[in-house]
Amino acid sequence: MSGAALLALVRRTFADARGRNIGFALLFALVAYAQPAAYRSDYPTLRDRLGFVHAFAGNASLRLFYGRPVDLLSVGGYSAWRVGGILAIFAAVWGMLAAARALRAEEDSGRTEILAAGPVSRARLFAASVCGCLGGVLVLWVALLAGLLAGGLPAGGSAYLALATVVPALVFLALGALACQLGSSRRVALELTGAALVVALLLRVVADTTTSLGWLRWLTPLGWSEELRAFAGPQAWVIALPAVVSLACLLGAARLWLGRDVGRGLIGAREVAPVRLSGLSSPTALALREERWSLGGWLLGSGSFAFIIGLISTSISSAGISSSLRRQLKALGGASITKPAGYIGLSFLFFVLAFSLFACSQVAAARHEEAQERLDVILALPVSRARWLVGRLGLAVGGLLALSLAAGLLAWVGADVQHAGISLATMIEAGLNCAPVAILFLSFAALAYALVPRASTAVAFSVVSVTFVWQLLSSIVGAPSWLRELSPFEHVGLVPAQPLKGGAAAAMLGLAVLVGAAAVWVFTRRDLVGA
Amino acid sequence: MSPVPPPSRSPAAGHRGAASGAAVATFGLGKRYGRTRALEDLDLVVPRGQVFGYLGPNGAGKTTTIRLLLGLHRPTAGRAELFGLDAWGEPVAAHERVAYVSGEPALWPSLTAAETLEFLARVRGGTDHAYRELLIERFQLQADKRVRALSKGNRQKVQLIAAFATRAELLILDEPTAGLDPLMEVAFRETVIEAKEREQTVFLSSHILSEVEALCDRVGILRSGRLVDEGTLAELRHLSARTLEVSFAGDPPRLDGVPGVSVVERDGQRLRLEVSGVLSPLMSALAEHPVETLTSREPSLEEIFLHHYRERGAVGVETEDGAAGVPAPGA
Repeated sequence: MSGAALLALVRRTFADARGRNIGFALLFALVAYAQPAAYRSDYPTLRDRLGFVHAFAGNASLRLFYGRPVDLLSVGGYSAWRVGGILAIFAAVWGMLAAARALRAEEDSGRTEILAAGPVSRARLFAASVCGCLGGVLVLWVALLAGLLAGGLPAGGSAYLALATVVPALVFLALGALACQLGSSRRVALELTGAALVVALLLRVVADTTTSLGWLRWLTPLGWSEELRAFAGPQAWVIALPAVVSLACLLGAARLWLGRDVGRGLIGAREVAPVRLSGLSSPTALALREERWSLGGWLLGSGSFAFIIGLISTSISSAGISSSLRRQLKALGGASITKPAGYIGLSFLFFVLAFSLFACSQVAAARHEEAQERLDVILALPVSRARWLVGRLGLAVGGLLALSLAAGLLAWVGADVQHAGISLATMIEAGLNCAPVAILFLSFAALAYALVPRASTAVAFSVVSVTFVWQLLSSIVGAPSWLRELSPFEHVGLVPAQPLKGGAAAAMLGLAVLVGAAAVWVFTRRDLVGA
Repeated sequence: MSPVPPPSRSPAAGHRGAASGAAVATFGLGKRYGRTRALEDLDLVVPRGQVFGYLGPNGAGKTTTIRLLLGLHRPTAGRAELFGLDAWGEPVAAHERVAYVSGEPALWPSLTAAETLEFLARVRGGTDHAYRELLIERFQLQADKRVRALSKGNRQKVQLIAAFATRAELLILDEPTAGLDPLMEVAFRETVIEAKEREQTVFLSSHILSEVEALCDRVGILRSGRLVDEGTLAELRHLSARTLEVSFAGDPPRLDGVPGVSVVERDGQRLRLEVSGVLSPLMSALAEHPVETLTSREPSLEEIFLHHYRERGAVGVETEDGAAGVPAPGA
């Protein structure tokens, strides 16, 4: 096979991922730009910065999502903490999705079989797919670098911070490649890698928030990003860890790939199974049956985080938080995070984001049903389109309520263990408080699905991500308040620290019902659209 | 040879009457996808209890027609009715009486074949479970296998069993035997004949001309989104050229000028001719020559089909999935 053919395969993989790559690159560039800019404007003097550092010295709580800060006195050090901490998680998600798409979805669709039947060696096919994905890692790195440079950070340090931030993308790409050999479908591969990511994140959370367990950081790729210590006494040798692990995983994956049957996985999905009659009574019941593992995973993941948030909510430093930090948290919509209730209230904003993404994933699952032409089979039965779509949306709302309740309940359990003194009823309210925004995004995703079915998944996830980033950016860039208030995140009361904004929640739910009804109306009037 | 009835093209006036109460009726039905005309001005009636064969090359508009009949796509012109119910406006009421087998056996990979049958039966209702068992036996379906482990043909069997077991009044089958082996093709034909005996209506879109010839009461031929021929097989044969083979004692004559006759093959003292219309001009011409033998046979459906596509320089229209249709008769 010629080099040109190999190049064509690499390009194909790269082009196939362009939507995802562009979305993540935009997110990365914006966040990378915003953090140094925000730090400069919030903490202009050394005194401000010292106050900020003092407040964080013994404060474990904000490390939950952002990781462990090393140097908060410089713009670079702060950016490394805020950019690297959160985007490393996104980078890992990117790596997981990229691997599953390039190495398993292609195989599930039968395209890999066609290519492998041609004059292309299997090793080259694998190499081409991996190279196409590595191109995506490069795109993320460039986006981060561009954002950091635009934010006024020095070139060398920015390049290093960008590298430290994309390290998890590489590692999870490699882990994903391994999972793609084990699992017998894209879904199983995603579930395996997703479980690894949850474990990696939990390890980092525990390592960052519990001083005596700091060594756990060395066990997680997300910790390696931190230990690279961009802008804070860089330890460049740490890069060897992700490099060796990624290489080992990729070589292992390649070895497994060369020895297995195309179209199957090594973990034998059972071909024969006894009949289970549950979940076959209606299209909605079947959808629940199909989504049960995914829903279970979400419940387990968000439930564990809620429990940890509850546990550490009382470990907040007694040191007073600086006025500048307070300003910044106010801009985030924060209350006083020195109290457990304030901390939980702020942390639960991230559940609002996560559950909104869950809502998008449910609409994406509905779209997948249509793209695979299974919806043709369902709608040729005496099932109306409205019944089908309302059933799917109802299922998503049910899932959102279950997730919200579980988050509230488990955060209460964690807080109660530490005698935080927050009532169960309040925590249930805090959990349910996450639902209205997610339900609103669900309705927008449904409308996108009805209007532009092929683009709907990308549109839905983008709307949520852009809105969330806008929430972070708008106060920094000094956007007028009406523009800020366009974001539903702006209207979430930080229960339990603040009262539930009942009016806003009701308005969002009302709007969701209207938009959802419009989605159903449009959907009943369009052609079904294949992949 | 018995005289054949005149071709029954549905004239516009008679169409309405014929359509009332029919299993399938379309009125000026058309569909465009952007600039592509996938189906144009289709007037079709399938009376109850008939097996209707719907023929056409890839991309001619067969699947588009079926999607319009099922209300999965919305017509851009005209309309379709199933049992007098508007296909787009009242799909649920229409589907109570319909069972469908899609050309792409798109099912749920994680369900077993038995679970899939159960799901389809529960949602649709009215399944004859005893008959379903018989069909599982007849099609030799391994029901405890997961759909993802089934071959295309086996997935197709799942759909066929589900559809026939419903005993729906109308079966809409989109190239249902595409993945079946010859033994299963026999089982399929047997099942269609049983359905016909129970006076179920079958709308069979197919490439397999022998299957259509064996099963169908009437046939419609679609080309580039237009219905180019429709009628019973006898009617279609009447309209098409018949083949004559003539051998002569000496050199065969030139018959170029004889109306309705074209020479297909000239082999020594033998000629193979295609004759459309009446035979008398040819007979008069042959009377002057030393004819030794003369055989005549009716055109096969394949010849009729090829006739429609070759003579008119058929070019398939594009389907919505972008595949340009090419004439592929006899597949």
